[in-house]
Amino acid sequence: MPELPELNPIIHGKLRLALLSLLAGVEEAEFTWLRGKTGSTDGNLGAQLLKLEEAGYLAVEKKFVSRKPQTIYRITDSGRQALTEYVQALKQLLGSAITA
Amino acid sequence: MQEQTSEQDLKERLNLISTMIAEGRCTTQSYSWTFILWGVAYFVAIAWATWGSGWAMWGHNWVAWPVTMISTFVLTWILAIRKYKGGHQPPTTMSRAISSIWIAMGLSMFILLFSMGMSGRADQQVFVAIIAAMLGTANAASGILLKWKQQFACAVVWWAAAVVSLFGSVAQSTVAFLAAILVCQIVFGIYGMMLEARVRKIRGAVHA
Repeated sequence: MPELPELNPIIHGKLRLALLSLLAGVEEAEFTWLRGKTGSTDGNLGAQLLKLEEAGYLAVEKKFVSRKPQTIYRITDSGRQALTEYVQALKQLLGSAITA
Repeated sequence: MQEQTSEQDLKERLNLISTMIAEGRCTTQSYSWTFILWGVAYFVAIAWATWGSGWAMWGHNWVAWPVTMISTFVLTWILAIRKYKGGHQPPTTMSRAISSIWIAMGLSMFILLFSMGMSGRADQQVFVAIIAAMLGTANAASGILLKWKQQFACAVVWWAAAVVSLFGSVAQSTVAFLAAILVCQIVFGIYGMMLEARVRKIRGAVHA
């Protein structure tokens, strides 16, 4: 029987999974846009984004636009790779659950 | 970890991933309200152009289309700023491609309609055929890019209206145009807004 894959614990959290998936669909996104799309609080969102950043899955750019601070997030190559592997693992687990 | 993760949970996560990716890429769908707004604007312009000449307050009906279109453009601009303030849409290659199609189509239509109105060379059937063909082009291009069959179907309806307008009578042209506006602007706009609402409902289930 083939060994079942491990699910990446960094991505497994629902909000982190949602954030990484959102960023996989766009070139870059502002903090406020991510907050609006996930309906999360500033504190929780910031904490989850930091975890993804520390894992190397996100790149962050802070800048000022019209004297207002703006934080831009982009998914990195390793973040995209991790999400792809996570989806493959999910499908594999679901396949084994169906055949079991 | 997976021992604690039920099959239902795994399916929910897969669904969450596809929904969020789709939401990020979502373009035309998040602008469904503009289809309804412009559909109403076309109805207003048609009513004004048809019956407006007798209304002293509104003056000659040749201004009906340019004035309605400019007003709707300004209204769209204001509503879009209000709707999307506090976090503008992030750029995607797809969104740039689709917005460029609609901006180019809008500019072409404005220049054409304004010139036709001002020059007095506006034959109603040709006028309807041009508008319908241009809207068909924009809808078809967006539908192909988004792989959205319903939007491509709208393009087919617009093209059919263009053909009917040129081969049919004035009355048939009018009916075809009104029917295309109803189906491709109002009904399609409502359908898009319903899809948006469904996405928002799924988003509500997102927690850390």
